[in-house]
Amino acid sequence: MATVATPNGPRTARRGGFFGEGWVSWLFLLPTIVFFIGWQLWPIFRVGWISFTDYEFLNTRDPVNWVGLQNFREALTDPLLRTGLLRAAGFTALFLPGMIFIPMFLAVLIDRIRNPKLATFYRLVLLIPSMIPGPLIFLLWRWMYDLYIGPINYFLVDVFGWFDIYTQPQWIGNPQLVFPALAGMEWWWGLGYHTMFFLAGLATIPKDFFDAARVDGANEWRMFWDVTFPRLLPIILVLVVLRFGTAMAVIDEYLIMGGVNRDRPTYTWTVYMWELAFQRPPRDLGYAASIGWIGTIAMLVVVAVMFRLFRSRD
Amino acid sequence: MAVQNAAHPIPAARSGATAAEWKPRRYPRWTTVVRHVILALFAALILFPIVWVLLLSVKSLPDAYQNEIWPTQFEFVHYGQALSQIATLPQNFLNSVLVTTATVIITTVCAVAAGYALVHLRTPGKAVVVGLLVASMFFPTRVTAIISIWELQKELGLINKVWGLIFPYVTLSLALSVFIMRGMFETVPKELADAAKIDGAGPVRMLLQIMLPLVANGIVVVIIVNFVTAWGEYLLATTLMNDLSQKTLPVVLASASGGMGAWVWPRLAAVYVMAVLPGLLAFGIAQRWYMKGLQEGALKA
Repeated sequence: MATVATPNGPRTARRGGFFGEGWVSWLFLLPTIVFFIGWQLWPIFRVGWISFTDYEFLNTRDPVNWVGLQNFREALTDPLLRTGLLRAAGFTALFLPGMIFIPMFLAVLIDRIRNPKLATFYRLVLLIPSMIPGPLIFLLWRWMYDLYIGPINYFLVDVFGWFDIYTQPQWIGNPQLVFPALAGMEWWWGLGYHTMFFLAGLATIPKDFFDAARVDGANEWRMFWDVTFPRLLPIILVLVVLRFGTAMAVIDEYLIMGGVNRDRPTYTWTVYMWELAFQRPPRDLGYAASIGWIGTIAMLVVVAVMFRLFRSRD
Repeated sequence: MAVQNAAHPIPAARSGATAAEWKPRRYPRWTTVVRHVILALFAALILFPIVWVLLLSVKSLPDAYQNEIWPTQFEFVHYGQALSQIATLPQNFLNSVLVTTATVIITTVCAVAAGYALVHLRTPGKAVVVGLLVASMFFPTRVTAIISIWELQKELGLINKVWGLIFPYVTLSLALSVFIMRGMFETVPKELADAAKIDGAGPVRMLLQIMLPLVANGIVVVIIVNFVTAWGEYLLATTLMNDLSQKTLPVVLASASGGMGAWVWPRLAAVYVMAVLPGLLAFGIAQRWYMKGLQEGALKA
């Protein structure tokens, strides 16, 4: 440490320490860290802070007070939050199986295609929706399900004649149909992207395995369960954890399809939080923040439990 | 191994084989046919909504309200009319282009620099950075922290300034982008870095002249991921922008109710096509590198 930094000398001697190459490395990391701390870590910390206060944005008379756990105590007995969490869980339960098993099924089919041109064609077509941003997908499907212009009901009513304009399914308007309709839309969106995950997993299975199984007289069905499925299980588990998190915290879909009507199934905890914070006077930011935290923590706890369970399986 | 190889030339060794199966197969098996039929069906299912909205955008008005999928009369005026008759639309388009371009460039630069540092430079405290970035990918920051992001933007005076969206947008896919680039830089051999170091290349020169061409496919993936995130972002854009002239394309499209006033259906569809097509065309051009990038290491992230 006695050596003073001269232009050529001690660079090599100090390499690796914070003032050697480490300093340069942090310079490369600096832009990432600035954005990460500024718009990710700080807002998370700050919204935690807000959840312990009675901060009402439109209430300019009273000062903002620290109220401890009062928001959380209130929220935990709030029936609207409970309904909101249950609705989110209901959508997740509907959303997950199709988001995982349909792509798996397709990947198994595509993996066996011998013609490389056709295999690429299927992959590319399936990937098209993943190149369209989510909210634009939701808009497209809002029109697909539309009662006047939508092609789905055009087929059901005008082409097949299964319904007339009075009995036609109200995909978005009917509380019983809106979640299946949304799930179908999500499956369409995620199909290609998730198929790629499974194809990557299938590519690691040596083809000899199938030949050996075939020699032993196994049919396709047995081969799938004995050879393919165990190899795909880790991918399935990862996708279950990832997509559970996605589905529980959905908000754009609900706002675009359902708005902020409290009676509709799409009014989940995320929409509740957003409405309290930005739409409903007096814009009770403190209470809204606590709603957001309870939903987020509930989701993260389940994710952590699933991680634990799945890790011990491997 | 020997048993399996020996099995190949004698397919009839399978149980239930008949003499006919000895000949090389000329016709596809029925399972192959079923497989292609199912895949073609799914491909059609994927393409149908996109084709439908494309057709809607070139239908004449009566055709559009008749609902027939294939129009009797094509009209291509809706694209021009949308841009000239919906007052703020060109501005909204420009807003989206500005915010998305800036977001993509900033995030890509951040991710390339960070990925490079994490793999090829000695970074004290690396574990903390990596750990925080991983954790953030499981946390729905955009939803949970929307209240404080709104507050932060307000204090910075960025509410109703469309370029203010760039800051939260950069972080949306930042962690994922860093990991994609880290995966790519891990495929570059350490020896190459050492050799360059011996030749006297500093970290900046090593990155720009030697490494960058080797990780180009990963950069394509990062650009596409961030383009898709920023171009369609809805929640932040609708929460942080109030004036119509400051709104981005997805927010304007979402608030337009079809068939009303200036937003007749074919015009709405035309705006939609203009919003979606550039991305799809870019994907068509870049898909070669995108697929390669995914295979080379991006999927590991």
